[in-house]
Amino acid sequence: MKWGGILGITALLMLIILYEWPKLKKNIRKMQVVFFTVITIGWVLAILLILFPNMPGPSQLIDFIFKPIGRYWEIS
Amino acid sequence: MIEKGKISSFQMALIMYAVVVATAILYIPFITAQQAKRDLWLSPLWAALSGFLIVLIITKLYKLYPKKTLVEYSELILGRTFGKIIGFIFLFFLLYDTAIAFREYGEFVESAFLHKTPIVVVTGGIALTCAFAVHGGIEVLGRSATVFLPIVLVLYVMIYLFLIPDLNVKNIFPIMEDGWIPSVKGSLAPHAWLSQFSLLSFLLPLLSDETKAMKWSILSVIVSVLTMVYINLGNIFLFGGIITNTQFPVFQAARYISIGSFFEHVESIVIAVWVLGGFVQLSAFFYMLVLGTSQWLKLPSYKPIILPFGFLIILFSIWSASSFQEMIHSMGTTTPFYFISIQLLIPMLLLCVAVFRKKLRQAK
Repeated sequence: MKWGGILGITALLMLIILYEWPKLKKNIRKMQVVFFTVITIGWVLAILLILFPNMPGPSQLIDFIFKPIGRYWEIS
Repeated sequence: MIEKGKISSFQMALIMYAVVVATAILYIPFITAQQAKRDLWLSPLWAALSGFLIVLIITKLYKLYPKKTLVEYSELILGRTFGKIIGFIFLFFLLYDTAIAFREYGEFVESAFLHKTPIVVVTGGIALTCAFAVHGGIEVLGRSATVFLPIVLVLYVMIYLFLIPDLNVKNIFPIMEDGWIPSVKGSLAPHAWLSQFSLLSFLLPLLSDETKAMKWSILSVIVSVLTMVYINLGNIFLFGGIITNTQFPVFQAARYISIGSFFEHVESIVIAVWVLGGFVQLSAFFYMLVLGTSQWLKLPSYKPIILPFGFLIILFSIWSASSFQEMIHSMGTTTPFYFISIQLLIPMLLLCVAVFRKKLRQAK
């Protein structure tokens, strides 16, 4: 199940790369670097989310930062 | 300039209306009712304050730095390093905001219609559709807003007009039973939604008639607030005290419609039309995110990064909350503070520094 998910994600990202590559090839170097960086971030994050579905994320950080003021708002 | 297309101020107002109201009408009544109880219709009126304030700040900033978006002028105001940091914080917020909007859309469609479909399929489908719209540029967004939003707006009004026989005006009483504090507390979520008017900053440089920008954006805030008040009033008239337990009151209300026992089950039409508004909203978010990112990185075009960012948005939308209940809970307690502190405090800080710098320059 998990391997299937990882394979599916990889296949999807490969499709995106294949779709964009003909146009990207003529583009400047910086564009290509940004494109592949975003793809890599997405790939790593997707695999992490498949392996650890309950991984703490930005929401937990926001909860941690704003919890005191949120609690004050709820009670008073 | 990355974007060559132009939109009119009227189209800008429609896009901003979709950005705020499309998900607001689904979630605002439930979240607001938790704190405000029967005064939930007063809460959007308090929230209008932050809407007006943000529009004033953003248009003022735009006058100081014409033809620039927030990501671009933050570098000019605070210098390269701090400007980039502020830009990153804002863009990360925008990514999170976009992801939440996709999640809200997915949760609604799933709980209303597609009970057994995995949420990734629902959000992924709309993300692909939005990617095509974003690829077309701002003019496509502006035109889809002009075509779709009048229909959506008529729908919002019609739902409660059809329910007039069932509405009980007495449900609204007693008004302000415990003073005005509960309605102010309930206004937290509407504040967060209306603070999204800071995204106006990405649309202002694309206008063909800038002189009318201020008028139309203020009008957009007013109409958004009035829509929320209208929806909340309709819900309190229809549901009364049980409003605090109804998760999607607008959808429940649509189910309730029955005229002469032949005009029934209109909820499928309601969802179909609502999805049009949701589409405009999500593509606007998506567009601003990729445009802002390519301005932040000084890229020549935003088109190649649309699909990778779409993928990232879907990931964040799954990551942002583990369940529907958790999402609703954080939307009523902590997330609004995040929204307000990023979208109100960052433009305020930028405006203070910009005005100070201008004074300093004139004194020399």
